[in-house]
Amino acid sequence: MLKVSDIVTAYGKIEALKGVSLQVESGKITCLLGPNGAGKTTLMMTIAGILQPRRGSIRLDGKELAGLSPARIVSQGVALVPENRLVFPQMSVHENLLAGAYQRRDRGGINTDIERMYARFSTLKERREQMAGTLSGGEQQMLAVARGLMSRPRVLLMDEPSLGLAPLIVAEIFDIIAELNRDGTTIFLVEQNAHMALQVAHQFFLMEQGRITFQGTPGQLAEDEVIQRAYLGTRRAAG
Amino acid sequence: MDDYLIGVLSNIGVISFVALSAYLLLLTGEISFGQQAFFAIGAYAAGIATALWGWPLAAALVWGAAIGGGAALLVGIPTLRLHGLYFAVATLAFAEMVRILFELFHYQISIGGELVGPNGAEGFRNIRYIFDNNIDAFQFLLLIYSLLAVALLGFMLLERSRIGVTFRMIGEDETLAGLQGISVARHKILAAGIAGALAGVGGGLYAHLTTYVEPRIFDVMLGVHSLAYGLIGGLGTALGPLLGVLIDIGLLESIRILAGYRMIIFGGLVALLLIVRPRGLLDEQVVYWISRLWRRIFARVRRSRLNPRDRNV
Amino acid sequence: MIDLVQNTIDGVMIGSSYGLLALGFTLIFGVMRKLNLSYGPSIMIGGYLGTVLYLQYGAGLLAVAGAVVVGAVITGIYVERLCFAPMKAGAGIASMVSSFAIWMQLEQVAILILPRHTYAFPALATGLPLEFWSLLVRIDHLIVLCCALGLAAAVQLMLYRTRFGLGLRAIVGNPVAAHLVGINVQMAVLLAFAGASAIGGVAGFLVLAVDQQITPMFGMWATLKGLIAMMIGGLGSVPGAVLGGLLLGVLEAHSQWYFGPHIRDLVAYLVLFAFLVLRPGGLLGGAPETTTPLKA
Repeated sequence: MLKVSDIVTAYGKIEALKGVSLQVESGKITCLLGPNGAGKTTLMMTIAGILQPRRGSIRLDGKELAGLSPARIVSQGVALVPENRLVFPQMSVHENLLAGAYQRRDRGGINTDIERMYARFSTLKERREQMAGTLSGGEQQMLAVARGLMSRPRVLLMDEPSLGLAPLIVAEIFDIIAELNRDGTTIFLVEQNAHMALQVAHQFFLMEQGRITFQGTPGQLAEDEVIQRAYLGTRRAAG
Repeated sequence: MDDYLIGVLSNIGVISFVALSAYLLLLTGEISFGQQAFFAIGAYAAGIATALWGWPLAAALVWGAAIGGGAALLVGIPTLRLHGLYFAVATLAFAEMVRILFELFHYQISIGGELVGPNGAEGFRNIRYIFDNNIDAFQFLLLIYSLLAVALLGFMLLERSRIGVTFRMIGEDETLAGLQGISVARHKILAAGIAGALAGVGGGLYAHLTTYVEPRIFDVMLGVHSLAYGLIGGLGTALGPLLGVLIDIGLLESIRILAGYRMIIFGGLVALLLIVRPRGLLDEQVVYWISRLWRRIFARVRRSRLNPRDRNV
Repeated sequence: MIDLVQNTIDGVMIGSSYGLLALGFTLIFGVMRKLNLSYGPSIMIGGYLGTVLYLQYGAGLLAVAGAVVVGAVITGIYVERLCFAPMKAGAGIASMVSSFAIWMQLEQVAILILPRHTYAFPALATGLPLEFWSLLVRIDHLIVLCCALGLAAAVQLMLYRTRFGLGLRAIVGNPVAAHLVGINVQMAVLLAFAGASAIGGVAGFLVLAVDQQITPMFGMWATLKGLIAMMIGGLGSVPGAVLGGLLLGVLEAHSQWYFGPHIRDLVAYLVLFAFLVLRPGGLLGGAPETTTPLKA
């Protein structure tokens, strides 16, 4: 569904992505693992259009996304739940959700979707008038996910949803991810928490230093080895 | 050298002090619209010292620098916690207050039957030290540029010293610098004081150059100009603000024919320049390339000197 | 006692024009986090266009008002495209210095349009001031006050009841996230700029029509007053802009009455400085965020 081919993204002279290729299959949860600084967030930002790639292509069901503005990419059906949530702090939960639906004009549909979000995320409903900046980390994450869903995306990108959250909340978030996928949402997930990610992902990619170094399904590689490479990078063979 | 040229160069030299003053603060990451206040304070202080108290010029200039630096510390401390726009507007408010205070400042002494001294909005006339002591325009020009050279030398040493690097670190990311154990407050106050003193010296020189100062001169325009010089000339080196002053005063003086359209052209050019070079002509990158080029040439020269025998291989 | 009340009334009246200027300023600054030093000068260009229409074509009050607003908006868009749109996110100071360069440019354009120092500007309302007990209220001042309150209410409504306003607040809240929810940030900023310039144009027209004259100093004056009122009231706050303007006006009126014009200006700057050092968020703004607006 989403096909990334040879993407090169650079900050000035430094190439953060050195030719990344991967595919996200429709209806599945795809996970991108890798150590810090590997370039995972850079890739997400590139797909979302915040960063422009130097070379390469990003196709959503054949339509080229590379080079489009972020707003256009959202209109094509790609929504990013960014690292660190990035909620609108001075706006209420309700307004954050409305903002998520910014490009939509169907009042009725938007309201229905908001009610659906409240049904699924009960804590958000309780705090609908509360300013998003005063929510806890876990609540903000749920808000960010719900906001991302408001545009009814075809692919939902998620950048480190478990970052900085307590284990109980992390489990809750991953339950939600699994549930969203069961209801039909295609998800492309970046995670540091390889253990949890492998529980839900259908396929995963490993990124190290701006390149994809491994791809496969959770069963293919022993979990220990994946986690080791995801956190520490590839072991160099001794001798 | 004809008088006109001496006059323009003197002007460039004196204004360079305010430009360097604003530049120093920019290095620590703060935008100041108010360095003209210390320029004014230095001008009045030095002028009063020579014209009313009969001090020699050198002492008067030191006095101007001291008062300028002191005033800068006075305003630097309460504004420490302010950043960005808040700091910039605070400096603007302060400078305007200083200007208005000078419009109300009367301090006149009768010398030889005449009233000498600052007279509010009418200004401060007859700062005649250089005439009374037979210093001609060219000599004064040399004085200005010798002091400027000292200031530049100071900057060169600063850039290489730990303090200079610390200033730039604070400018890059204050929080990070603080976390690394740097006393951000102390360094910023130091920078403020030095900047104030620099502007004060410039002011003292200015007062004696033109023999007449009035509060109107030290307005917001001068302040924003001082800032602009660094931005145009480049923030990578102390020569940057000087380049900015040279371009503004020097080039504009020479395009007199376009007098009526000067600012239209110049303003437009500056805006365009800032799009492609947001940190000025001699920004950090350019300075780095130049220094690399310089070092390579230097190394090659040195190699050929060390091994004259190899040249004949 | 009468003096006190009369001065307060006069202060509120002049303060309402400050509030209008601050309104436009705060709209731009809130969204862009960059200082536009060409704000006043842009309005001044509009003012000069209106003056030309009045003096050379005998245009009526409404036409002049229209010209001022249109002139301010076109100039504002010019400034936005040249000084703000092409700059990368971190180059706040470059934008500001660029807007300063254009300020110089616009001042010279104004002088080219009308070379002399002062020109007559049509009067907003002639006629005797209204009397309430022994207090005098000029009709034109009253019109300005009503316009200021009306426009502020309209802007507040736009910000909190329209989709576009939601978008602007999102951009203020978190620019990256605003992109991510599909807001066309560049277009929104441009529209906000145009809107702010239009408000500035209205403010400029009203001030000039009360003063009945225009000078090339208007540009800097408008920028400074708008800036001071905005900072006193609180960056990014619409009611703050109005309140800041009114407070500034009242302080100035009283200072001027007792101590003259120099002290009046001194007090304005002193109050601003005090606010910045003690309460930078101003009357109604929140504490300044950790993300610094306008980094060098």
